[in-house]
Amino acid sequence: MRENKLGLPSVISTGVGLIVATSCLMSLGQGAGALGVGFVVPMVLACIINICTALSMAELNAIMPNLTGGLAQYTLAGFGPFVTIVTMVGGYLVCQSIAGSVECAMFGNAINSVFHTGIPSSVFCILLLAVLLIANLLGVDMFAKIQNFVAYGLIVSLVIMGLMGMFGLGTGEKVSQKMDLTQSFSDSFALLGLAFFLFIGSEFVIPIARSVKNARRNIPLGMVLSLVIICVMQIFVVCGMGNYATWEELGNSASPHILYGNALLGYVGSLWMILVSIFAVVSTVNSAISFLSFMCAGMAKINLMPEIFLRRNKRGAYYVGILMIGAIMMVVNATGLSTSDSLSFMILVAIVFWMVSYVIANINVLVFRKKLPKVPRTFKVPLGAVIPVVGIFGNLFMIWNIDGNPATRNLIFTIDGIIFVVLGIYAVLWCRFRLKRPLFQPIPVHEVMAMEHSLYLIAHKNKNNQGGK
Amino acid sequence: MGFSRIETITSMNRLSSVKSALSKIGVTGMTVIQAIGCGVQMGTFEYEAEQNAEMELLPKQMIILFVEDEIVDKVVDVIKKELYSGHIGDGKIFVSPLTNVIRVRTGEEGEDALK
Repeated sequence: MRENKLGLPSVISTGVGLIVATSCLMSLGQGAGALGVGFVVPMVLACIINICTALSMAELNAIMPNLTGGLAQYTLAGFGPFVTIVTMVGGYLVCQSIAGSVECAMFGNAINSVFHTGIPSSVFCILLLAVLLIANLLGVDMFAKIQNFVAYGLIVSLVIMGLMGMFGLGTGEKVSQKMDLTQSFSDSFALLGLAFFLFIGSEFVIPIARSVKNARRNIPLGMVLSLVIICVMQIFVVCGMGNYATWEELGNSASPHILYGNALLGYVGSLWMILVSIFAVVSTVNSAISFLSFMCAGMAKINLMPEIFLRRNKRGAYYVGILMIGAIMMVVNATGLSTSDSLSFMILVAIVFWMVSYVIANINVLVFRKKLPKVPRTFKVPLGAVIPVVGIFGNLFMIWNIDGNPATRNLIFTIDGIIFVVLGIYAVLWCRFRLKRPLFQPIPVHEVMAMEHSLYLIAHKNKNNQGGK
Repeated sequence: MGFSRIETITSMNRLSSVKSALSKIGVTGMTVIQAIGCGVQMGTFEYEAEQNAEMELLPKQMIILFVEDEIVDKVVDVIKKELYSGHIGDGKIFVSPLTNVIRVRTGEEGEDALK
């Protein structure tokens, strides 16, 4: 009997669902607020750079298929443990914790912007986090069945509302304003970082490769098409926004999607947007908590994080990781993360880590091309080294232009620098005293692949114990 | 026209995908032998910390193909891509020359006997 496998449409829906989150809508509002429809330029550039990275990720997956940690394992084989710990813990753990916190904050803001409860937004965030933590600890994936519904709901809603706005079909009052606020190219470059946030996460499609029909073609193609669809969908929304909401209002709003919904269709539009965004927030944060706990466990499996992260409760949930991530998100939200400025600043702080991990991914492709030229890759990025090189320099360029304001940019680099130094110290100590391996010596691919086996850690621990006696 | 014998030794669970991929590129026959054996790892499982001192023979299969020289590279490429997982035990492919092929039922020889 043939196993039912997922086709290209399912890969695309998963990709779009994983990439689009409500915090993206805030970035969209912020970007549109600053440049008007001119924000389309950095969006397209960021999309192209992300396509390069997505293709590189697909090639890495072809070299080291079916790994739970993904980029962690590729980096371990390409650069050794130090870079892996710093970029992976930084790139995913820190970044996702911050991004998840921003999502929760947007949930509170969205509720208050429509219902005016008078209760601080952070209370809603913490309540939501508590519910999701309990669900994850109970091992209940209550959203697995509605993920596609949520993703399609978000896509269809944004496309409809974007097109209605574009063609002036809304019931609200139209505004007349200058559509393109771009003064120079540097204005576009300054918003590349914000635009990048609209497209991150396409690599999360890779773990489903095992269940995909003709994965060699459908995974890279699905990743690229997801990014293109998101880009087109968000261009519709930006163009629509310009007809119904002033750029200034959009830029200052902490929930620009609600603002736009209201401007386009009145109270019904607000309710429509809030319903869609609540589902999206809940599923995104739920996935983030679950993914990060698995990632911590995966890092512990390859001996890059403490073994405590491998502990499971009776329901099979990696409870240490879940509790730690939940605590981080709650602390971040309790600090009163609510204004649009603070949210977009947090996003920029977080995505620098993500960009660094994307740079490493692109370099990894070139390292493996040099080290393992004859490995039978089921997918190879076309045009030789061009696409990974564009990915490397594109991401570096986005990091350099993370914010147009030099003071803000320096503050972002300072915060990220401090986090990198802390992670670096942890990585040095961990490699020296626990892993007992050179910091920058890559681990052979076959050994990294072997680490994936559940018995690897036990077998090697037994050997070390016997050696110590 | 020359012929080659392609022998692939791999683990037991890879036959289905290789068979399907070879069928797609027009390979019309194959022989599979169940075997036991080991390679340079002496049968050590990849997760184990130390290599076996003595050879441990593990269940394997040998896939044998006879093809025209012109398609050897293509067939080998397909087999390599199908078997590749990055893990120890993916297998080895041996290619050797073949002087003739004879179909007993009709007495056909060479290329005719392969079709």
